[in-house]
Amino acid sequence: MPTSILGPYFRTIVTVAVIAAALVFSFTYARDGVYVEIQPLFEWMETTWFGYVGKTWGAAFATIQAGHLIGLAVLGGCVLVSDGRLLGIVLTDVPHRIVVDRADAVFFWALATLLLTGVFMACGVAMKIYYLPVYWYKMLGLACGILFHYYVRRPLVAHELGSINPIVLKMTAIASILVWFLVAATGRWIGFSG
Amino acid sequence: MNEENQNLADGQNTGLKDAQSSALVAASAIIIFSAFYWFAQIQSVLELLELAYG
Repeated sequence: MPTSILGPYFRTIVTVAVIAAALVFSFTYARDGVYVEIQPLFEWMETTWFGYVGKTWGAAFATIQAGHLIGLAVLGGCVLVSDGRLLGIVLTDVPHRIVVDRADAVFFWALATLLLTGVFMACGVAMKIYYLPVYWYKMLGLACGILFHYYVRRPLVAHELGSINPIVLKMTAIASILVWFLVAATGRWIGFSG
Repeated sequence: MNEENQNLADGQNTGLKDAQSSALVAASAIIIFSAFYWFAQIQSVLELLELAYG
């Protein structure tokens, strides 16, 4: 059991460590080293079957992009419904637990759709996005959103909602909306760049 | 039996405290980052508008 190594606040310690690591990575030269190292990966992505189809067949790219946008819309809907319920703004006549659990199940499939279609799209324009700073902001936001949702938010709301400090619950809901809004905004920003 | 129940309740309570502390740290970091990020974005747009229209 990991709690025996780091004490009863294992999750908190890991969260602080991840935030510290992300800050160090973002504000030091470590980032530049990784950036150069992964360039061959993006060059290879363009040579894959996905890359060829994405570059040469516009209709396929547009169709997959439509799936990506629908996935994003569904994911955004799940976030707004679930976090809006935690904030007491929407669906106030439906119990918290039902809204949160059902939205979470749909969230998983929306995220899976986003990731699968996103990989295909990235292969088609790999070298373009490699040089776009906003693409890296999106990846940072996406990683942050996935970690936040599955490592922080989900274990929190798995507890009886009435026993959770309401300020922490509301802060979690606001942070969740903010991080997914950032992912969506930077995603659209990629579309308007380059 | 009572001791086992007490241990279980203590474990759940500790788990809740850990989840809450973790959520507080992560949510604070995201909210503070977002505040700075969107402030910088809005500032940038205002500067561009000022350059364009004076």
